[in-house]
Amino acid sequence: MNWQRVWRSLRAEFGRSPMAKLGVVLILAVFLMAIFAPFLATTNPKAQDLSRANEPPVGFTDTTEDTRLVDGERQTVTVTTRGTLEYPLGTNQLGQDMYSRLLYGARTSLLVGLLGTAIAALAGVSVGIVAGYYGGRVDDGLMRFADVMLAFPALVLAIALIGLLGPQPVDIPDPFVAAGLVSDMPETTVLPVTVTLVVALVNWVWFARVARGEALSVREKNYVKASRSLGASDWRLMLKHVLPNSLTPILVLATVQVAVIILLESALSFLGFSGTTLSWGFDISQGRDLLATSWWISTMPGLAIVVTVIGINLVGDWLRDALDPDIEGESGGGMG
Amino acid sequence: MRLTRFLLRRTAQGILVVWGVITLVFLLRFITPGSTIDFVAPLDASPELRQRLAEDLGLNKPIYVQYADYIVNLLQLDMGNSLLKGRPASDVIFARLPATLELAIAATIVAILFSIPLGVISATRRHQPVDYGATGFSLIGISTPNFWLGIMLILIVGVNLGWLPTSRRIIGFGPALELLVFEGRTIGIQVWFEHILLPSITLGTYFTALITRLTRNGMLEELGQSYVEVTRAKGLPETLVKYKHVLRNTMIPIITVLGLQMGTLIGGAVITESVFNWPGLGTLIIDAINSRDWPLIQGSLIVIGVGFVVINIVVDALYMYFNPQVTFE
Amino acid sequence: MSDDVILRVSDLSTRFFTTDGQINAVESLSLEIEEGEVFGIVGESGSGKSVTARSLIRLIESPGRITSGTIEYRDADLADDLREDHPGAVDGEFVDLLAIPEKIHRGLRGTSFSMIFQDPESSFNPSLTVGEQIAEAVEVQRRASSNPRSTRARTRSSEYSLRSYAAAAVLPSRGYVSSESKDRAIELLQQVGIPDPEQRVDEYPHEYSGGMLQRAMVAQALAGEPDVLVADEPTTALDVTIQAQVLDILRDLQEETGMTILLITHNLGVIARMCDRVGVMYAGEIVERGSLGDIFDRPTHPYTQGLLGSIPDLDAAGGRLQPIGGNVPSLLDAEMGDRCYFADRCPKAMEECLEKPAEYPAEGTDDHAAQCYLADHPYEASQALPEDYFEESEPP
Ligand SMILES: Nc1ncnc2c1ncn2[C@@H]1O[C@H](COP(=O)(O)OP(=O)(O)OP(=O)(O)O)[C@@H](O)[C@H]1O
Ligand code: SF4
Ligand SMILES: [Mg+2]
Repeated sequence: MNWQRVWRSLRAEFGRSPMAKLGVVLILAVFLMAIFAPFLATTNPKAQDLSRANEPPVGFTDTTEDTRLVDGERQTVTVTTRGTLEYPLGTNQLGQDMYSRLLYGARTSLLVGLLGTAIAALAGVSVGIVAGYYGGRVDDGLMRFADVMLAFPALVLAIALIGLLGPQPVDIPDPFVAAGLVSDMPETTVLPVTVTLVVALVNWVWFARVARGEALSVREKNYVKASRSLGASDWRLMLKHVLPNSLTPILVLATVQVAVIILLESALSFLGFSGTTLSWGFDISQGRDLLATSWWISTMPGLAIVVTVIGINLVGDWLRDALDPDIEGESGGGMG
Repeated sequence: MRLTRFLLRRTAQGILVVWGVITLVFLLRFITPGSTIDFVAPLDASPELRQRLAEDLGLNKPIYVQYADYIVNLLQLDMGNSLLKGRPASDVIFARLPATLELAIAATIVAILFSIPLGVISATRRHQPVDYGATGFSLIGISTPNFWLGIMLILIVGVNLGWLPTSRRIIGFGPALELLVFEGRTIGIQVWFEHILLPSITLGTYFTALITRLTRNGMLEELGQSYVEVTRAKGLPETLVKYKHVLRNTMIPIITVLGLQMGTLIGGAVITESVFNWPGLGTLIIDAINSRDWPLIQGSLIVIGVGFVVINIVVDALYMYFNPQVTFE
Repeated sequence: MSDDVILRVSDLSTRFFTTDGQINAVESLSLEIEEGEVFGIVGESGSGKSVTARSLIRLIESPGRITSGTIEYRDADLADDLREDHPGAVDGEFVDLLAIPEKIHRGLRGTSFSMIFQDPESSFNPSLTVGEQIAEAVEVQRRASSNPRSTRARTRSSEYSLRSYAAAAVLPSRGYVSSESKDRAIELLQQVGIPDPEQRVDEYPHEYSGGMLQRAMVAQALAGEPDVLVADEPTTALDVTIQAQVLDILRDLQEETGMTILLITHNLGVIARMCDRVGVMYAGEIVERGSLGDIFDRPTHPYTQGLLGSIPDLDAAGGRLQPIGGNVPSLLDAEMGDRCYFADRCPKAMEECLEKPAEYPAEGTDDHAAQCYLADHPYEASQALPEDYFEESEPP
């Protein structure tokens, strides 16, 4: 693989496409949000202040009717709450700051998205290479298994596994807090291990298919046959020839898969299967019953997901247009 | 003939896949921490009671015997009794199935109805406002989580505008149709329609967006093929060139991708049901998992797996129909 | 053969506006083709032959555009029909094909003129049967001739009803094509020498061999009984024996129906075998024209001379043109300059050739002319450009 050529066509396409630029800007923004969440956050996202519950975002006012005792009589009074800069995106029913929760939600999404994709890619590529390289029975067996995996809609399988295994959250210490650079912020970020493993488990198949196709074609190349007959070990051959050839399609696929996995994670959190409460999907589910009164609780985290996934998809389009790999299927997102 | 042979072959393969699904589903119970009996037996059950329950459910037998029993029972459509509802799991599942099917079919109709014309218009008016609109819509559409879209629809159309009910489904399509046919009353269909509209948009949007994108890109690619010019040179009306020739060939990649996305449709249905309290398989499976209702969990997973296999055979047959070059070995 | 001009092309320019720059694929080209003749266009690869052919049928698509010129087609009935609504397009019996609306033009395609395309393999829709595609061409003609007097009726009758769109996309053989057309397609396949036409008619392009596809292509082009047939390298893709067969078929049909053929080829053997008159194309221009005898016996343009000099045996299969050192220019506007485009390869380039020559009449028939100073006056060795002149000024 000629990295220089790859780089050149990436740059050329980037220069040509305003959408690619937008995508990169969006993704950078989300990354910065996630990494520097402790500095950007104004309030501890877990801190509750019930006296400030359900406040609207800044610039909005919220009118509710309340029954109170005035001079010993029951009266219906209209209460008007004005959004303040203290809680720029409003608060939820526990009086938690939606803005700070949004920042920390980005951490969960990216953590699961990137880690899940990495695991899926690693597993999928290994299986795919083995299947494609050995062919025959090994290939048949592994690919039938992949078919069975595909037969399970990813979301359903994920729900089943997480529901049965439990979320198994692991606390990762926040380096900034540990270093004493910020205080009053959560000391750990929760990595929902089951969710991460499960999203990888249900998505590795895509990588396997791509890698297998590549391995199948490389296997037939003469130089591979030749070095094989010279007694080169199978694994060395595969790593040396198949892997570099499949990198471009895998890169494009991985980008798209990050989007898919982020959407999947948000769906799982929404259904209450994730094991962390600092997640966009979880926040959306929190606002669901308060739609009539506090629309912002569900709206804001949803917008964050949409913006993030649009960014990733735009970058995916950029890579696809620039590198033009021949991969099967266009999976931009989706819930399953 | 080509089609029949293909269908036979594909059905055989499908049965194999279903068998794999059944096996996985069966094994699921053994990788789960905690024994089933803990979930079935009352908290204060005596060891004797637990023992008897376990024997009744066959939980004490060796795993391969349980497996064999399981398969034999399944062949008789016996999925065991739902622990939660005390009724045969198959009854519970099949009672919920129509709602899910209605939703999936309605969403598919929504998607096809809007996406293909939009994609065609977008491709034929490239770099015009419609094209930008359609491209923007499809980008947003494939990037929006559908549960959130559902909530936003409820918020805007249901709560703020008050145009559509936000309550859960009241009547199925079957009963609604009966009402229309036997009593001549349209109210049933109307209520059915009002309730299915938002869920089907919610579930259908991702596919509308995806197919729009595929149609547009596919048409553009196909329009560059030289046979298109030949077809024009014959003097064939442009509409025929676009629809009979170009769109028809564009269907081939569309169907391929749709085949790969069928799992997404089913997963999307599960979560859409949960947003709208839709009484289908999706909500059933979530309830079943939360209460560890094993027969119900296993049964629903198998039914979903079978559904997926069937849909895929249909998709492959369509693919075959549109692409005469395919022979499937 | 009549002497009436049926197609009169003047000052035709077609350009492509690509990201690399503007390509002048056809440059101010003029041409007259007479009814019933076979006119040949010969030239190296990349000289703009196919673009000329496509321009004649108005099939240039973005990023290309016909930027100037007229293509006048003689059809007295059509001229009468259009005189009122499109006075600017009509000149006596001639109609300017570039000045009429697309809809009317489409009504002429297939029936007034049709085209055989260069590459048969990619010229058929892979997912419809060959028969279906030929039958479409027949159907276009059938519907048009149901009211031959009115152009507008012609175009309207070939429109397809809206509600059938979807059906047409899904069900290939429903709707447009009638069973008569299907039968006619079988006849046509028979005519071009396809064995078992009844069976072949229902086969798909991938089930045909290259030679059979080329014949099917001829059948398709002839389906509408066109007055003018543009044949773009109808035999290049074929092996020698099949080449000869296809050419014979074309020749026979031409004699039978009296249609006019514009034959485009690399192959001088094909020209010699088929054509009455010839135009030699170089870098988007016709650099020499004349009768077959003019071109073969009295070539005036050094390019033509080079082409002929390189052909040991005209009927040989390898009569491909690779005659003269150097390459056809890229046709990029920025690199063209205003000299004679051939000067950098011309063994007789003179100082005056740094300015573009006009077209001068040449020795032979009245038609014989060449875009070269040598047609006007003899070569003057004293004026010759130094041999390495272009190597210095134009790095490769
Ligand atoms: N669609 C297009 N876009 C850009 N440039 C084009 C296009 N079609 C043709 N050209 C350019 O026009 C020029 C002439 O091409 P054309 O196909 O007419 O050559 P030709 O004489 O038919 O060659 P050949 O013998 O190989 O068929 C070429 O330089 C080509 O690059
Ligand atoms: S004009 Fe001059 S350079 Fe051009 S062909 Fe004639 S002699 Fe050669
Ligand atoms: Mg050509």
